[in-house]
Order: sequence, then structure tokens, then C-alpha cells
Amino acid sequence: MARSRPRFGIDPAQLVLHAALSALVVLSLYPMLFTLITSVKDIHQFYHNYFGLTFPFHWGNYAEAWEAIGGYITNSLIVAASAVAIIVAFATLSAYAFARFDFFAKELLFMALLALIMIPDMITLVPTFLVLRTLGFLDNLAALVAVYVSGGQAVSIFILRQFFASIPAELIDAARIDGASETQVLGRIVLPLSKSVLVTVALMNALTVWNDYIWPLVTLSDTRLWTVTLGLVGFYERFAGMAAWGPLFAGYVIASIPLILFISVSMRSFIADLTSGAVKA
Amino acid sequence: MITATRAKRSSLQRRGKRAALRRVNPAYVFILPTFATLFALKYYPAASAVYHSFFQWDGFTTPRFAGLANYAQLVRDDVIQISAVNIVKFIAGRSMLNLIFPLLAAKMLFHLRRRGAAYLYRVLLTAPIVIPIMVTLLLWRFIYDPYDGLLNQLLQAIGLGSLQRAWLGDFQTALYAVIGLGFPWVTGIGNAGFAFLIYLGGLQKIPREIFEAAAVDGASAARRFWRIELPMIAAQIKLILLLTIINTMESYVPVMVMTGGGPGVSSMVPGLYLYESAFAYDKFGYASAIGVAMTIVLLIVAWASNRSIKTASEVTS
Repeated sequence: MARSRPRFGIDPAQLVLHAALSALVVLSLYPMLFTLITSVKDIHQFYHNYFGLTFPFHWGNYAEAWEAIGGYITNSLIVAASAVAIIVAFATLSAYAFARFDFFAKELLFMALLALIMIPDMITLVPTFLVLRTLGFLDNLAALVAVYVSGGQAVSIFILRQFFASIPAELIDAARIDGASETQVLGRIVLPLSKSVLVTVALMNALTVWNDYIWPLVTLSDTRLWTVTLGLVGFYERFAGMAAWGPLFAGYVIASIPLILFISVSMRSFIADLTSGAVKA
Repeated sequence: MITATRAKRSSLQRRGKRAALRRVNPAYVFILPTFATLFALKYYPAASAVYHSFFQWDGFTTPRFAGLANYAQLVRDDVIQISAVNIVKFIAGRSMLNLIFPLLAAKMLFHLRRRGAAYLYRVLLTAPIVIPIMVTLLLWRFIYDPYDGLLNQLLQAIGLGSLQRAWLGDFQTALYAVIGLGFPWVTGIGNAGFAFLIYLGGLQKIPREIFEAAAVDGASAARRFWRIELPMIAAQIKLILLLTIINTMESYVPVMVMTGGGPGVSSMVPGLYLYESAFAYDKFGYASAIGVAMTIVLLIVAWASNRSIKTASEVTS
């Protein structure tokens, strides 16, 4: 770091770093670039010019892809939005209780929660499926949401509890002295201070839910209810055999957009929160 | 306690149920939704899995008690042995990839002198995190496609056509193709995607004085890496290793989507075998036993690696 370096001119060591990093960037992003290029090719362009960009662009691929997976994306949006909202609501309440109250069996219950982080999903896969089947909840998006809610609690509560515990007690005591109820303290004081950590927790869970494949596979046999991961695999099996790579790759682009939008929006609020100093209280 | 109960009881009589409700510790109301869900969909199923692992059960008829028969079969089952070997290879391979490549990229970025360029590289290298995992998996399934796949086309284009093969359909390569997806491995799949950022954060926290002292002593770049940088980010390395080991052990969706465990059962992993035992062969008791065994192994591995990695980092620092 405190190496002597030429004041002007080019440092060869730095040049090597730039070259190596650029190579990594190109290699990392190349599959995405290839996807974008291929998504506007028809089958002849694909075979005639495999690597290059070809004209004209076939935007019809996107229409065809939307036809094939649009419904699944809508289902995934519904499931992900409800699951994330409920996870954050339940986890906020629990985390607040664990951070701010004393109650009987508190330590024990918290240990029970932490144990869930260590227990793999695998062990509960079959019995949870049987619970849902017994209750008649297969082919039910609400049941799928419930499964995600149970899966997202432990880590979310753990993160939120840590944050809530760091909020100065004087702030909360002052509100209580002014006669605020517990729900008012939570809604008016704690939550506004916790925006960024809530966004982080929401983002984490949204990624998990959007990417999950196994629960929809196990619980949804009605293709109209399928989520985007199931839809993509079905789409691949159907179109890859026909070498319809253009529509398939257009489908990948479409399926990525909601996640990209959500991440860029939440990142902005995350950064805005940090710069405004709201969390420094 | 007694006076409290008495006060509670008298208030019950005086002000009715509403007041009594208000006296219940609100904490219980707050944690009720969480624990109601967890009981129905986590604790009860986990207990049920342990219970049913001692039964022969197709999921429909009445379970028949089988003692330890499922576990005995587990030890003898050839597919389990193949899966166990495969998952060890998987963990070893993934740990190496997640350790070496993100660290290499983070180290290069850390030594870059131009802040603006470093920021740009960081954004570009982490961008793949936003791609849904399923898209990445299917994209790699395409890359390995025997006819139209990018890998074989590239080999053809650079005159190495003789190396072409059906990467996912070949007994020699199927497992390694799944392990090695995600080249150049700077941004991994899922949680591993954050390895690069975690290493970078670790490097940036090293006090500058240490580097200055090393420079005064004339330490070489290699020495600086082994004696300063690596020991100072031991905590980050440990975190990534633990996450990788635990996540990889549980993961089977990549195998499921890319090879289905094939060809034959050559790329089978325990999680996929559990899934198939239950949902393809209706052996719910056996599947439960696989789940219980996996949980036990996972807990032991997590405990052991936590211990051994801790001692290793204490030794080096």
C-alpha cells in the first residue's frame, strides 16, 4: 500500500490488476450477454451466427416467452409479495418481544427458534407435505405462502431482534411515559428507525422465495398455479427439444426482471436511509 | 406472585375480560403468530420425521413399526454410498471454488489504486447476484448441451473439437460439470454470491498501519498475503467455509435440474435421493430416515468444522 510508485506514467503492477479484473468481469458477464443476444435471434440466426449479434431483432421471441411463462410470473409475484409481507410482520412482532420484554420461558423459546437455523429443510420436507395433504392444502398458493412464512422466521427474527435491542431504551421509555401503548411504541418509534434493516430482511426473503423450486414442485400439480421456477423448467423441457433457444432465452430475461427491479429499488431506499442518518439515533 | 395473581383475579371480576386480556404479557401476543406457524410447519413435522423414520410407510396406509430397519437399510444401500461420496466431492469442490476465486478477485480489487475503477469492477462482479438461481442453472444446462451448448461450440471454434462431449450425460463428467458451474466463480450461486463482498469487507478492515509497517520491513507481496492478509481475514474465510459446507450438504436442486442424478445414479446426492424415495417410490419411512441421518451428520459436521477451523485460525494468527 505504501509502496513507492512513479508519480507519472503507468505502474505495471496496477496494469496487471486491471487486465485480470477486466478479464474476470468479461467472463462473469458473458453468459448474460450471450443470453441477451440470443434472446432476439430466430432459429436460423442462431445456427448461422452462433456467437455474434444478428439483425433484424426478433422481438416476437419475447411475446412468445411471455405467453409461456407470464402466468407463472404473476403467481410468483403474488406468492413472494404475500410471503415477504407476512414474514416481516410476524418476525417484527416476535423480534420486538424478544428484544424488549421479559416473559416466562423467553430463553427457551429463543433457543427453540435458533435450533431451526441448524435443522435442514430436508428433514421437514416429507412430513410438511403430509401435513398439507392431510389438511387438503395441496394446489393452494396460500399454503405455499404459509410454508415460506415458517421457513423465513428464524433468521429474520434473529436479525431484527439484534437491531431492535440496539435502539436506545430511553427513546422507548420516554414514549411509554407519555402514555403510548405497546403497538404505538412499535409503530411510531421502533419501525421508523428500522426501515433499512426491514428492507434488508425483506430482500433476503424475497430472494429465497423467488428462487425456491422444491416447495412448488412438491405441492403444486395444477399447472395454472405454478410459480416461475417450475414454469422455467417446464419451458426448458418443452422448448430445448425444438432448439427454440430464442424464446427460451427471452423467457430468462423476463423472469429476471422482477428480481432486478426489486433489488435496485430496495438498494436505493437502503442507501437513502444510510445517508439521511435516520438509523444513527 | 400470590398477590399478583390475586390482583389479577380481582381485576378480572371488577373490569371484566377486556382488562384481564390487557394484563396478559403482550409479549405472548406478539410471538403467537410466529410460533403457531412454526409449530404446524416446522416443529411438528420435524418430530414426525423422527417418529416415522422407525416405520415402514407408503404415506397412505397405516404405518408398520419397523424398528431400526430403515437405518439398517441405509447403511447397506449402494445409492446412499454413491450419494455420500458425491456430496463429499461436491463440498470439497465448492469450498475450494468459493474460497479461491472470490478471494482472488477481492484481493486484486483491494490493491487497485483507482477508487473509481474499483467501484466499477465491484458493481460489475456482483451484478450476477440479481439473476434468479433457476435461470443460472438452466443457462448452465444449455452451456453443457451436447449439440447447441456454448462449451462445445467454443471448443469447436478454437479447434479443440475432439474434447467435445455430452458433459451432463457422461458418467465421467456429469457430477463435475454440476460442481463446476458458475465459471469464473467470483459470484457464486445463492449465499455464496456474497463471498466476494465479505472478503473485500474483511480486507478493507485491516488497519493501514500494518501494511505500512510491513512495507518498511521490506516484506514481499507474497509474504504480505500469507502473513498479514490471510490471517487478518480468517474470520471471513471461516464464515464462507461454514456457509458453503452447510449449504452444499443440503443442496440438491442443481443436481435435480441439471442431471436428475444421472446418468444412472452417478451424480446422485443425498437430498435428491430423499426426494425420490418419498415422491417417486412412496417410501416415506425410508425418506424420513434419510432426513434424520442427514440432520445428524450436518450437526456433527457443523460442530466439528466450527471447532477445527477456529483452532486453525488461532494457530495462524
